[in-house]
Amino acid sequence: MAAVTASPARSVPAAVGRALRADRAAAAGAVVLVLLIGLALAAGPLTSVTGQDPYTFDTSALDPATGAPAGALGGISGKHWFGVEPLTGRDLFAIVAYGARTSLLIGFAATIVSVVIGTVLGALAGYLGGWTDRAVSWVADVIFGFPYLVFMIGLSAVAPASLPRELLLIVLMGSFGWARIARVVRAQTLSLAARRFVAASRVMGAGPWHVFRHQLLPNLWVPVIVVATLSIPGKIGTEAALSFLGVGIPPPSPSWGRAISGAVDWVATDPMYLVFPGGALFLATLALNLLGDGLRDAFDPKTGARS
Amino acid sequence: MKESTVKRTVSVLAAIGLTVSLAACGANKKDTAAAPSKSAAKQGGTLYILPDAQKQSFDPAKSQGLAITSLALVHRRLTTWDVQEGKPTTVVPDLATDTGRASDGGKTWTFTLKANVKFSDGTPITSADVKHGVERSFAPAFSGGLGYHKTLLEGGPDFRGPFEGKNLSSVETPDPKTIVFRLSRPYGDWPWVASNPAFSPVPKGKGAEANYGENPAASGPYQVAKYQPGVEMRLKRNTHWSKETDKIRGGLPDEVVFQLGQQASVTSKRLIEDNGDDRFAFGASFVSPAQLAQIQGNPGAKSRLVTSKTGAVAYLAINTQRIKDPKVRQAFQYAVDKTTYQVATAGSPALAGDIATTLITQGINGRQQYDLYPAPPVGDPAKAKALLAEAGQAGGLDNLNLVVSTSNNFPEKAQAIQAALARANIKVTIKTLDGEAYTAATTGPNADYDLALSSWQPDFPSPNANLQPLFSSSEIGKGGYNISRYSNPEVDKLITEAQSTVDPNEAGKKWAAIDKLILQDSPVVPLIYTRNSFLRGSKVADFFIADFPAYPNYLKAGISQ
Repeated sequence: MAAVTASPARSVPAAVGRALRADRAAAAGAVVLVLLIGLALAAGPLTSVTGQDPYTFDTSALDPATGAPAGALGGISGKHWFGVEPLTGRDLFAIVAYGARTSLLIGFAATIVSVVIGTVLGALAGYLGGWTDRAVSWVADVIFGFPYLVFMIGLSAVAPASLPRELLLIVLMGSFGWARIARVVRAQTLSLAARRFVAASRVMGAGPWHVFRHQLLPNLWVPVIVVATLSIPGKIGTEAALSFLGVGIPPPSPSWGRAISGAVDWVATDPMYLVFPGGALFLATLALNLLGDGLRDAFDPKTGARS
Repeated sequence: MKESTVKRTVSVLAAIGLTVSLAACGANKKDTAAAPSKSAAKQGGTLYILPDAQKQSFDPAKSQGLAITSLALVHRRLTTWDVQEGKPTTVVPDLATDTGRASDGGKTWTFTLKANVKFSDGTPITSADVKHGVERSFAPAFSGGLGYHKTLLEGGPDFRGPFEGKNLSSVETPDPKTIVFRLSRPYGDWPWVASNPAFSPVPKGKGAEANYGENPAASGPYQVAKYQPGVEMRLKRNTHWSKETDKIRGGLPDEVVFQLGQQASVTSKRLIEDNGDDRFAFGASFVSPAQLAQIQGNPGAKSRLVTSKTGAVAYLAINTQRIKDPKVRQAFQYAVDKTTYQVATAGSPALAGDIATTLITQGINGRQQYDLYPAPPVGDPAKAKALLAEAGQAGGLDNLNLVVSTSNNFPEKAQAIQAALARANIKVTIKTLDGEAYTAATTGPNADYDLALSSWQPDFPSPNANLQPLFSSSEIGKGGYNISRYSNPEVDKLITEAQSTVDPNEAGKKWAAIDKLILQDSPVVPLIYTRNSFLRGSKVADFFIADFPAYPNYLKAGISQ
């Protein structure tokens, strides 16, 4: 497999830049992603413009007869840009903005955990071969078929309340998400290991760590980034699913999944309650998928770049 | 946390208290504008009931059912409840000719059976059958039902049911029509206890099989025709039941069909739409806040919504074994915001229920209205902070955990509590557990929580059933519902005293005093007297909720033509 054909250590940012210029969809994904990250980072200042936060109950923003938001479109107003949450009167824009923080933080952090585990194990398997390779491949196969959502629901239910839930989710999703990365890295390493610069390094007496750091890693970044980008939306979705089921991020920390779960009941009376958090989740996963697809098209000659 | 593990006996009283989550169903305010001529239920037709449970059993020993819901369609008891709109609920004779005659200062109770009462196979019901039903409820295999009688009957605590060759000597049947109960102490509410499911007759010697409840010997107007778990429980008429001997049950529909496993939100949607057979149906689960909001904008459905006037007291239990300083606990009384709790419960105070300040619920004989901790409905965080400061906790409280069940919107209600307490610097983490796990966590021996959210509807309309199950020290950690783990020897003594008072008015005064005494120690924060809302189809008539209990009367409901 001659996946990497260019010079061994080409600059990753430059390659990403080239890919984005060449692929409009990927560029749009990147822009949306940057906007969402901006929303997450600036959630505090943005909500303080209207004096809102995602925690304070405000029954005066609700219809006194039903508990649904007062006013049209879920209570959208200059004060509440996305309206308010039914039954609580909490600001929906604040919930979505702070929820972006939760979702993106967990999505990215869990992916980093996966990338570290996947790259190390994949490179070990590919470079050392033998029983290491068999063991890693076997564990990766098991993890592929493992019903980890069910496992996580079970574990979330028994985990002590004192353990920060964010950390638990990051570690769990990270340690169940490395199999795909390990496979890609292993395949890449197998082809790299046969190349002359790696052989030369080895002949000159370099140990496995040196070879990994200086010969393999620079050539693994690109495929790893592609796989990682494509796996972030899945992790954001998993977090939302767990929160939807009530075993994800505990209240009052805002979470898109929990908001969507609450909104399902209200769809007939207050559709906007579903539209905003649902839209945010949709945009985040779509943007990351477009970006990941674009990067893969640009870097993987097998799929044939479209432009 | 250091309670030694106590033997998990079938706890008697624990069982009693069913939490309000038991499905019941609803009744209605009459159709006012929508139906100008009030249509009354007629004889005949098929009534559909839509519970969310997958299974339906009519095993009297295992039941915690109210005297006016499902179980009472099939079984009669010694006594039952007369539940009518606008009138206080009273205990009335059912199989017996009166509500029991006390002797020996309330320690011995004698009942006589009516003539001409028969099982569905035509055999006459005798006192031995009632005795067998009571004894059967002691068998470990049939535990889980209301068990007030289990500790009260002499020898009850050691009795293990009639299937091991022994009988309970404190229940005597001198002749086929007479049954005598000897109690270990005087108990004024025994006529109410005799309306519990375990006082339904089971033919002597029968009922040893685990699935007895799927097709029991019926004494009420209906018997089981067909049962498919997860699908339906179909009841047909019991031709040996006669209206002559039963003034309480209407027995109007020819058939009653429970459509099982109906998700509450789907049930509401079907009933709002009111098509086909759903016109002859009513929901057995509460209507959720989102659907209540939807119904407010739909006059047709709104006229078919039945909301109780009052109901179970919703409360925040404070684990007194962990939060030991009464001053700190009193701070919670001021820190909560009962308005946001009302809105989280049902969207508006009118649908959610009145703000609660007492432990004895509205409509119970003997209740006295008082407010030991006067504060505006939204609470008084400043006062709460001041109390915490006095108790040496000026910085507030950190890291308390609040356990709630996933049912009935409790997680959302818990967030209202969490936000309210945060105003007084009380930081709370919410832990949600599903129904059974929640019950195990709060009623089990190890109390790994600081706060819990719950609600309590008494099992019979006496303050006894409000207070004893929740605050008697015998109800801690053995499956009992004293989830604030409140133990006060003085209160225990007064409870026993009030229980043995036979005259209801005198007993009422004693209970009112106990109510106040308990709340001075602040083991719980009463929040609201929760109203329950139910939906019925347009052809269901005489579907109402009386003052007690906050559930519709299944026995009177029928089909209008």
